[in-house]
Amino acid sequence: MFTLIKLVQSLFGALHSEGTPGQLAAGIVLGSFLGLTPLINFHNAIIFAALVLLNVSFAGGLLGWAVFVPVGFLLDPLFDWIGHQLLFAEPLRSVWTTLYNTPVVPLTNFNNTVVLGSLVFALVFALPLFFATRWAVARYRVTVGERVRQSKWYRTLMASKVYNVYKLFKP
Amino acid sequence: MSDGIKIFRWRAVGPLLVLFVIACVLWWLFADTIARHESQNVGTQLLGAKVEIQSLHLDLAHGDVTIKGLTIASPHEAFKNLLQADELVADLDMLPLTEKKLVIDRIVANGLRFGTPRETDGRVPAESGQGGIAGRVLAETREWASRFQIPVLQLATGKIGIDSLDPRRLSTIPAADALGARADSSRRAWQTAFDTLRLGPTLDSASATLEQLRRARATDLATINAARQAIDRLKRARDRVTTLERTVKTGVSQLQAGLAGLDSARQRDYAFARSLLKLPSLDAPAIGAAVFGPGAIKPFEQALYYAQLARRYMPPGLLPRAATGPSRARRAGENVRFPKERALPAFLLRSAELSFLLHPTAEQPQRYAGRLTGLTSDPALYGRPTSFTATGPQLAAGALLNHTRSIPADSAGASVGGVQFTAFDIPGVPLRLDPGAATTQFGFNLNGDTIHARFAIRSSNVRWMRDSGFANSAIGNLVWRAVSGISNLDVETRLSGALEHPALAVRSNLDQAIASRLRAELGAQVDAAEKQMRARVDALVNDKVGPVRTRVTEVQTQAQTQVAQQRARIDELQKNLEQRLRQLLGGVRLP
Repeated sequence: MFTLIKLVQSLFGALHSEGTPGQLAAGIVLGSFLGLTPLINFHNAIIFAALVLLNVSFAGGLLGWAVFVPVGFLLDPLFDWIGHQLLFAEPLRSVWTTLYNTPVVPLTNFNNTVVLGSLVFALVFALPLFFATRWAVARYRVTVGERVRQSKWYRTLMASKVYNVYKLFKP
Repeated sequence: MSDGIKIFRWRAVGPLLVLFVIACVLWWLFADTIARHESQNVGTQLLGAKVEIQSLHLDLAHGDVTIKGLTIASPHEAFKNLLQADELVADLDMLPLTEKKLVIDRIVANGLRFGTPRETDGRVPAESGQGGIAGRVLAETREWASRFQIPVLQLATGKIGIDSLDPRRLSTIPAADALGARADSSRRAWQTAFDTLRLGPTLDSASATLEQLRRARATDLATINAARQAIDRLKRARDRVTTLERTVKTGVSQLQAGLAGLDSARQRDYAFARSLLKLPSLDAPAIGAAVFGPGAIKPFEQALYYAQLARRYMPPGLLPRAATGPSRARRAGENVRFPKERALPAFLLRSAELSFLLHPTAEQPQRYAGRLTGLTSDPALYGRPTSFTATGPQLAAGALLNHTRSIPADSAGASVGGVQFTAFDIPGVPLRLDPGAATTQFGFNLNGDTIHARFAIRSSNVRWMRDSGFANSAIGNLVWRAVSGISNLDVETRLSGALEHPALAVRSNLDQAIASRLRAELGAQVDAAEKQMRARVDALVNDKVGPVRTRVTEVQTQAQTQVAQQRARIDELQKNLEQRLRQLLGGVRLP
């Protein structure tokens, strides 16, 4: 329940934040990396650091993460297939062999079919997701955004203490 | 966003650093626990049996890992451990860790114990998903072991009975029906072929020409020409008859083969009917296989399991290799390794010194020492085979896994004295054999897909025990009398041939003893029962086979006679025509 409330708070907090649609979209894109790829991996530490350090919507990141976790689970067979195709592609073998025998790189688990497949998918998906989200947020704010902000339930939701945590990282 | 060029959120650096410090502290606090859990998980996945570790300590500064209380369950036996170790100290090479490669320079293992009992089932069920490659190899070797047809020693009832013989299950009767139909079909076909020869007009015409020729003179050229034409026609007719004769011969040989097939089918029916009799086997090798076969397969199955596991984890060559990925909430996927020439293997144990106990439960367990070298995931990179040796007062063991070439060759051998085997039931009879303290020898060689293996047990103080079920069994008493006086046991099992279908041979000093005693006692009964069974099969089969045999004989005789008669008539007419022509012409050749 707490998670759900937090998610809804994040959603509306992000939508009505002072951040631009671009910041929110960038946050969601970074969050989608966390959700689409298996979490405990080296690249996700970098993504998380980027989400915290870059001036993007942290709430958008949390939102993207939460939304794309189930998507990631659903698409795991596809990621596995993509990773398998890439890792066993004859023209790429020398690249993988070099990377595999280079210090630190193997710690990224790039040689796991699901990790590589999901990361490649997330990278390819990042630009369309960014532009689509940016457009959708802008449209929302222009159309129904102000009415929602004035509504009673929105103010109740945002009065929750959990919202304060979010405010720490608002753009 | 008023300051549009602001990219970094500098105020978040602090919390991020705090998070990093927290992560470091957590690692410092829980690294040993995490490593212990991971080692247990990876070990369980690799071996297909539970791996438990009491404590694990990482000393990364010195590159040492200390494992205490290691227990590896047996993947084959529910409540047995494969090995336990009091302490293992590993000296790690730290630099390869940055490439996610584990290179252990040296392991010292103390207090190894093998085959100790455990309270819970340590096997990993294949369906649990933890089995991975090991689970698949285990299933494959089980399936391989199940292919051996071990004969059953049927002595329990001590009776020779004849079960009901269902005529529908005899193969001779349908074979006889089919042969009868084929004979009829051949008869019709040959008759049709014979009719289409149209020999009657040719023969009649030739006869008439012969009569004219007999009355003709040398100047009667028309008659002479007619005679020559008649001879040509007769020759052509004979060619046609010859063709038909060949067809008949082929058909006859097929019918003869059919008759021979009936005899074979009858032999099969005898064998089938014999299988319905509860006859005890009187064949010495069969008795040996029945008594010791089921137990003798197990060591081979286990050795094959480890050899195949080694081949999966230590494949030859440098091609990319996929293995099941780490277990996690998300799909595990596959981890693909990319070995590279002149690079380090993903896993290498350069040397391990082992100190272990045999007979740990004995009052004075014996201490032994062993050495393992060159255990690696990429033998082609390491370039040397994996070897293991162990020696001691009553032990000599060694193994060599050579996967450095394209065709892997694995061999192992061991000779262990004073092994206390547990008593076991002899299959098919209520009799238990306690081999006592025995000497075992084991040899195993898997070269490519060819296996040669040997397992031998020798004991000089076996004990026999009989079940109460034996009391009323004549044959049981017989076997008891045959074996109870035997105190020596000498069993040898050999396995050789292609891995897919190796030949199993079991020999023991008990085979002949049991077989000769059974043969002396039961030979007459067995012969009588077999005779009775044959008579019953004959009674069911003869009604069908007899008429078919007669019909086949008739058909072939008729066809052959018909062909022979016509050929004889053609030959005679041709001969007479040619003779008369020679008389008329007096040796003069006309154009």
